[in-house]
Amino acid sequence: MSMPSCFHCLEPIPKGFNESVVVNNKPEPMCCIGCKAVAETIIAQGMSDYYKFRTESAGKVQQLVPEQLALIQSYDNESIQQEFISHQGNDKEVLLSVEGISCAACAWLIEKQLLAHSGVKRVDVNTSTHRAMIVWDDTQAKLSTLITSLAEIGYKSYPFQADNEAAQKHVQAKSFVRRLGVAGLMTMQVMMFAFAMYFGMFSGMEDNFEQYFRWISLTLATPVIFYSALPFLSNAITGLKAKQLNMDVPVSLAIFGAYFASGYATFTGTGEVYFESICMFTFLLLLGKYLEFRARLKASEFTANLQQLLPLTARVVDGDNEEQLVSAKLLKLGDMVRVKAGETIAADGQVIGGRSSVDESMMTGEHHPVNKTLGDQVHAGTVNHDGVLTLKVNKVGQNTLVNQIIRLQHSALSQRPKIAQITDKVAQWFVACLLVFASITALSWYQIDPEHAFWITIAVLVATCPCALSLAIPTALTCAVANLTKRGVLIKQAHVLETATKLTKVGFDKTGTLTYGRFAIAKMDILDAAYSEQELKSLAASLERYSEHPIAKAFSDITPIHPQPEQVEVHTGFGVAGIWQAHKVHIGKANWFTQELALNAQAVLFIDQKPVAAFYLQDQVRDHAEALQAELKEQNISRVMLTGDPSTAGKQLAEQLELDAYHGALLPEDKLAIMQKWHGEGQVCAMIGDGVNDSPVFNAAHLSIAMDSGADISKNTADVVLLNSDLRSVAQLIRVAKQTRRIIRQNLTLSLCYNGAILPLAALGWVAPWMAVIGMSASSIIVITNSLRLLRL
Amino acid sequence: MSIIYVLIPIAILFVLIAIGIFFWAVRSEQFSDLEKQGHSILFEDDKEEHDKSNERD
Repeated sequence: MSMPSCFHCLEPIPKGFNESVVVNNKPEPMCCIGCKAVAETIIAQGMSDYYKFRTESAGKVQQLVPEQLALIQSYDNESIQQEFISHQGNDKEVLLSVEGISCAACAWLIEKQLLAHSGVKRVDVNTSTHRAMIVWDDTQAKLSTLITSLAEIGYKSYPFQADNEAAQKHVQAKSFVRRLGVAGLMTMQVMMFAFAMYFGMFSGMEDNFEQYFRWISLTLATPVIFYSALPFLSNAITGLKAKQLNMDVPVSLAIFGAYFASGYATFTGTGEVYFESICMFTFLLLLGKYLEFRARLKASEFTANLQQLLPLTARVVDGDNEEQLVSAKLLKLGDMVRVKAGETIAADGQVIGGRSSVDESMMTGEHHPVNKTLGDQVHAGTVNHDGVLTLKVNKVGQNTLVNQIIRLQHSALSQRPKIAQITDKVAQWFVACLLVFASITALSWYQIDPEHAFWITIAVLVATCPCALSLAIPTALTCAVANLTKRGVLIKQAHVLETATKLTKVGFDKTGTLTYGRFAIAKMDILDAAYSEQELKSLAASLERYSEHPIAKAFSDITPIHPQPEQVEVHTGFGVAGIWQAHKVHIGKANWFTQELALNAQAVLFIDQKPVAAFYLQDQVRDHAEALQAELKEQNISRVMLTGDPSTAGKQLAEQLELDAYHGALLPEDKLAIMQKWHGEGQVCAMIGDGVNDSPVFNAAHLSIAMDSGADISKNTADVVLLNSDLRSVAQLIRVAKQTRRIIRQNLTLSLCYNGAILPLAALGWVAPWMAVIGMSASSIIVITNSLRLLRL
Repeated sequence: MSIIYVLIPIAILFVLIAIGIFFWAVRSEQFSDLEKQGHSILFEDDKEEHDKSNERD
């Protein structure tokens, strides 16, 4: 039989843990106390359906420690709540970011758990953005109770501060769906009557019926024109006000022109009506725009989520050494702040008490923790690892280092190379030519045959302009984006696919990008032959479990030893100690007990203060790093390493991967300068990175690619996020981009041929508007089918 | 055939009702997360359990 796995999180069960929970009258094994508690709660609340219908496993549960409980309690504080609560009458509304939502069953579980509290009015969980919206009555339930009850079923959550941009996009998405729905439903109706009238043309139809159908069509088409098609008109007007001709100008001319002319024909009972053509035209155009919008929305939602850069609260210490949780925004210069192990630092400050190691990876991208003692400067947004620090705040708000980096990034944004704008320019010229041509047609036909001049002009506008040509690029891009999203490549900017085909140089960050940024045991020396390798590894692993230090993660895959060591204590700055089978055991720095022990190992295991094993740890090279380098080399793209790491490890890695050049010990400004130098040489450059220190250079690069495992701010800045953090995706991106360029060229050729052929015919008055619509639809379908090939790449 | 003067407006009325329901569905966030709504039919809303946990609070 295979290894038994936990019923809740499906992870293997460690030896010696024998707990189970009865589910549907059958005992099911559990891997830890946390999972057991969660499973028991879920069963007791009558929510065992969760296990029946879930499609993804649950995350391993970590129980709340008292520190976290205190933090959650602070969310009930009115002044802290101001940051993230909105009021709805007497009720309060909050948006929570929830970690660990993996499938629809989770959403159901969370909604059910929260609605069980009296006072909770409404819960809405979104599985794609991992957020839960809660409306509740504050007098009946506390926010901290709700958050703790989510923790009871295994979901960690914290208040989410939605920015205005995201909220606006959400409203926009809804209005898009409404407009699209109205256009779709109404177009169906109008088409139905149009068909009746088409047949009427051949087999004859009573005049009063035809007139009736026209009035019905007019009524049904009116909401489509004045509701669904309104954005085209407003876009066209905004464009014209800014003295720019966009595609929406001829679109609006055709739609509104044809609508008013058909309306006039209906009133007077003369001429032709084309309500069905304009409704279908509106619907198809809206559909294309909506698909494009949704791809972008999804991209921004994905990255804006998860942990905020800065914590909401800080623990201020007053003169009597009393701690008090306050809103981080209210911190003043000179405040004393205590930061406990595992917490994020809320403001820049100087250490005035305690010692600890701090993870500055969100700033530097380097995962080695930095030791901080009395007098050292620490920065807001970095994470305190294992000790307790007391700080004196010396920079707040805009002056903190993290905000300075954000400013640097914004200023780089304005200097961004603009390849994308060329497409807009071409479109402008095209539209201008089109309008001139349509006017010439209208004028000449007024001389020849004033009665038909209007409809011929409309036919010219419908036949030539938008559909095939305007679909040629967006459909290809949408299909390419969908293909890449499926493979875990998130495209956030429209220009990515165009830029990716032109790359000549790629800059790589080291830690976290070419490597995993986490330690693995590279080599182990046994210093006392009395113990076996397995035994020593297991013993080391069971001690390291208690440590938060990144080095400890190297041991996390190893099964702990049985029996477990007891009285385990973490000694900050040294390591972990415990008692195992009546022996004192220690793991940590080589010079813990004697200065003489000259070992270069990062972790040494001692039994009774005698070294027994030395562990040499190394940052692991990411899978497929070599494959990617080979592929880029084949395509004649030069590869350069740009790293902040001052050690020799970067150079070694650069040689191992056969990179073309190496630059080490770089500050964010240095990376930016190198990138700008490359621009000067006329190179088209991409930057692949993961840290906050990469975000300024991201904005300077033509194309920026962030790893999903990296800092949130770098993901926000980047054009592309590799969701699976798989380097091979970069090669896939370039491949798809090149194919997309080919498809777009084919599409443009096709649609230009069609437009070129139909233009003279339409101008000569041989094409009725309904023929123009059929021609337009046919050419559009060919173009869309061609684009769909990109999905199967 | 003059019946269509009555039937077609009735049909249009149905379309308007459909649009009303559609707007309501958009407003109540049914289109913001398609995956969750697709699964929601699988779960039983056992009222009994629900009330029980309410009492316990």
